[in-house]
Amino acid sequence: MGQNNNDYLLKIEDLDMQFKIPALKINTLKERVVNLFKGKKIKAKTLQVLENINCEIKKGESLGVIGHNGAGKSTLLKLVAGIYSPTAGKIDLKGSVVLLNLGAGFDMEANAEENIYLNGAILGFSRKEMKKRFNSIIEFSELQDFIKMPLKNYSSGMISRLGFAIAIDVHPDLLLVDEVLSVGDANFQKKCIEKIKALKESGVSFMFVSHNIQQVKNLCEKTLWIENSKVMGYGSSQEICDKYLEYCNNKKN
Amino acid sequence: MTNQKKWAKNKHIVQELVRRSVKTQYRNSVLGVLWSVLNPLLNMLVMWLVFSQIFGKNDPVYPVYLLTGNILFQALRSATEGSLTCLVNNRGLITKVKLDNFLFPLSSTLSSLVNFGFSFISLIIIMFFMQVIGGYQLFGFQILAVVLMLPAFLLFEYGISLFLSVLYVFFRDIKHLYRVFLTLWTYLTPVFYKIEAIDSSSAVYSILKLNPMYYYLTYFRDCVYNMNYLGQGVPSWKVLGLLYLCGVVFFLVGFAVYKGLNKKVISYV
Repeated sequence: MGQNNNDYLLKIEDLDMQFKIPALKINTLKERVVNLFKGKKIKAKTLQVLENINCEIKKGESLGVIGHNGAGKSTLLKLVAGIYSPTAGKIDLKGSVVLLNLGAGFDMEANAEENIYLNGAILGFSRKEMKKRFNSIIEFSELQDFIKMPLKNYSSGMISRLGFAIAIDVHPDLLLVDEVLSVGDANFQKKCIEKIKALKESGVSFMFVSHNIQQVKNLCEKTLWIENSKVMGYGSSQEICDKYLEYCNNKKN
Repeated sequence: MTNQKKWAKNKHIVQELVRRSVKTQYRNSVLGVLWSVLNPLLNMLVMWLVFSQIFGKNDPVYPVYLLTGNILFQALRSATEGSLTCLVNNRGLITKVKLDNFLFPLSSTLSSLVNFGFSFISLIIIMFFMQVIGGYQLFGFQILAVVLMLPAFLLFEYGISLFLSVLYVFFRDIKHLYRVFLTLWTYLTPVFYKIEAIDSSSAVYSILKLNPMYYYLTYFRDCVYNMNYLGQGVPSWKVLGLLYLCGVVFFLVGFAVYKGLNKKVISYV
């Protein structure tokens, strides 16, 4: 590698993630005490969610993450976002990161306006700074008529519009997109993809979880394919996506 | 992220959370925030009707005595009860965005401070009435000393809040236990009765003397209204020192418990 050793934005090395899931969930004091007297031991089952993941994203480059439901894709994004800490391995991120998944950082009881400020605060922006961005966020999301409506009355498409509009307005170095485009309508999807392309040109990196393979091919230089918590393939999107589609077809027959 | 940035970010989040909780409290009521002022007044009125002939016989300004006790204890109650469920209630945020969990009990504690501020207005109103109509000289400069006890009181509340919020994640039934405990605590604090009425050799009296709220309340009353005039104490530095000691100890214990359990919170919440 030599001289290019340092210009990565994200580097994941030998990442392992396990969840400990108790065989029966005990979350009251009463049950604890009862169990103590019964002398039952609560066994925890270990669930391996990710195993030995290695990948890298360079500045301005984008990585697609594909695989079947439950393969560990969303967990991987949450690890990169720092919500979970890995069981083993290293995640080295040089820059700011925003995770975009459906309803992340939103209070469903509050309206769009309040949520923009709350979400902005979570991303590190003061109310004053968010006020400056407010109009462009509302404009992009096209939710002008629903600003004062609580989010619980929004459709999932509308929520994803709002989330997307906020995330692109704060210009992180790395934007993690978890399946949010698929709930938007065709027009909005097109608008988002154009915006993503523009952001990519300005140097923002993306990490995409998507089941829309064509989209991954179009937007990402590289793709990571995870199946049953292990890496099945990692490389150029063209190659990996074709392999994945072939695998899916074989499985069906 | 640098430390400075982190602090700024946490500050913004707490501001938004406090704003949210104060706002949602009164979202669907016509009188809005005015309720925060009216509530303690009405509460006090009820208690005054019931207790004035039993506990307040020798106290010409018993309404003020009641109100001071009520609003301080209410601050503790709302801070800790709000904190108890705050992590579980915000699981949508905790599991989906990166933020420090201690911000939730903190904002619950601070919103109770905001409400305490509103309640304080009702206290001033009642004191004003008693002074103008009853002719009692209640106001004095020592009321400013209330500010001195607030940081100690907040630390005390925050310590309990931290402790309860993480514990609730693992033991959902402590909600009911804590409610019972709060009732007991209310009765073991001289909110509406006088400590002088209790036999000083009894067990209840010694428990009372071990209750931190007794000291917070005593200091608060000594500050708020001119007790000199009624032949009672003035705010003492010694008690204030005790309040800070108690606040720091509660905070440290609460924070230690939080630190110990916080890592597991995300998978249990």
